[in-house]
Amino acid sequence: MTTKDRRLSIVFFLPAAVFMILFFVYPMFLLFKNSFLEDDQPYGFVGFEHYGSALTSQTFYRSLLNTVEFVIGAVTVELLLGMVLALLLSTGFKGSNYIRTLLLSPLMISPLVAGLIWKFMLNDQFGILNSFLYKLGFISTPQSIPWLSDSKYALLSCMIADIWLTTPFMMLVLLAGIQGIPESLYEAARIDGANKAQSFWHITLPSLKPVILVAVAIRMIDAARSFDIIWVMTQGGPNNASSLVSTVIYKAIARYNQEGYSSAMAVIFMIILLGICSFFLKHFWSPAKKAA
Amino acid sequence: MIANSIKQKHGGPLRRQKIRLSQFIYLIVTCGFLCLFLFPYLYLMLSSFKPPREVISSTPALFPSQFTMDNYLAMFTHLSIGKYFGNSLVTAAFATLLSVLLGSMASYGLTRFSSKLGNLFLVFTLGVRLIPLISVAIPLYRIIGEVGLMDTKLALTLIYTSINIPFVIWMMLGFFDSLPKELDESARVDGCGMLGAFIRIILPISLPGLATTAIFSFMLSWNDFLFGLLFTSTAAKTVPVGISEFLTAYNLDLGPMTAAATLFSLPVMLFSFFMQNYIVRGMTMGAVKE
Repeated sequence: MTTKDRRLSIVFFLPAAVFMILFFVYPMFLLFKNSFLEDDQPYGFVGFEHYGSALTSQTFYRSLLNTVEFVIGAVTVELLLGMVLALLLSTGFKGSNYIRTLLLSPLMISPLVAGLIWKFMLNDQFGILNSFLYKLGFISTPQSIPWLSDSKYALLSCMIADIWLTTPFMMLVLLAGIQGIPESLYEAARIDGANKAQSFWHITLPSLKPVILVAVAIRMIDAARSFDIIWVMTQGGPNNASSLVSTVIYKAIARYNQEGYSSAMAVIFMIILLGICSFFLKHFWSPAKKAA
Repeated sequence: MIANSIKQKHGGPLRRQKIRLSQFIYLIVTCGFLCLFLFPYLYLMLSSFKPPREVISSTPALFPSQFTMDNYLAMFTHLSIGKYFGNSLVTAAFATLLSVLLGSMASYGLTRFSSKLGNLFLVFTLGVRLIPLISVAIPLYRIIGEVGLMDTKLALTLIYTSINIPFVIWMMLGFFDSLPKELDESARVDGCGMLGAFIRIILPISLPGLATTAIFSFMLSWNDFLFGLLFTSTAAKTVPVGISEFLTAYNLDLGPMTAAATLFSLPVMLFSFFMQNYIVRGMTMGAVKE
């Protein structure tokens, strides 16, 4: 490679790099810096004060727990449902292609609209879900379950919306993974007398492991960062019952203009996310990588 | 193949019947799931055609008693929804154009010349995915305010572009990697410069990949809510922000909300429905390695 080529290569990625520096690197630097400054002018240095108040704040602590609950609950159900759907579709029965197409069409819906739909369906005055449950005899009046206004159900309601929105993604990724498993493995197992359950445990699951890990990692990160669905459905309420870290941070910056405090919370949140991700990838991903 | 034909001889008609029965059960179960997954969106769509009072009836029905466009009319009179659609379209389209151009250039540069700086850049763009968007939004909130770009389409376009760039780079990386290097070499023998080879040879060949990437970039910006909510108030307001206001301003007037939500998402749903093969390839690219 000549020096001229080397210079040209920089020309190729320089514009994108400038964008990334302006809109990610510089803001991240500011975020970090601001987390040590006062919320308001004159922006004096306050050291770790914001970190201290975040870590001792009941609201922040609650939102961290809620986020963990939300991520684990939603991703687990998505994985299980997605797996069931992927296995069903992979049997290739007549019409499975059409069903797959239909199942995929909601994939492009925005989280905002998903939140709106479920807010609409879970309303305790005119929501259709309660009305169904009432007609089926599960609840005594159509207003029995205040999905969004009772702290017992608020987070669960948001999870339902998230599960509805992203299970098709999980299904799609798993289905692609299943279809990538060579048929000869199953034939060999059949000849050895393995039944369906056995070939699932001994062939499908192990071969899918890397795909499952990547899909779960992607979904975990995205679920942890969710904002739209929660904001539209409950705004984190009632009484912080469904507040996630992102909604608490949003309120601090947009409502109360606490720039330093929200920055500190964001830094803590990022450190936790990075920590979990690196742990996840190190402990679960590397063995699979070595095997591949 | 051989195993199959042997089995059929042994299994006989009884076995075939069993297969058909199990297939039928799979079909029924999957259709059940399908109904569950399609129902919410169908319900929203059907509700948007109900007379406004029926939308919030305490005894909700699936189908409207009569199909009306009242909610759509109310949506247009309550809100400057046309303007919001224009804002959403312009910001998403320009952000897509810019990010696909800059991102694919970067991606090509990274596949053709390996350098330490390039690799660092690549790792960084991957790391960006781990950053919660709200964390970027806080400092940007002040930056955008200080440079006087609050409530402008330009600010949203620039932000969406930078969010899409890492995504474009990773989508196109695999694509450019699969193109043989001899292609650009022969173009250069024929007298093209690097940039010329990229624009005249590589980009046209990559059109299918570029299209998929562009669709995704467009969706990312089109569906964004957080940045629109933080950085726009009147002039540059996007559709999601406009729709979300139904919840506070017209608390029980959800008819127009269902209309706006339908109008906002239906084109995207239909589009993704027809472009499915491209979209599937794009979605599974990161997770499933061939």
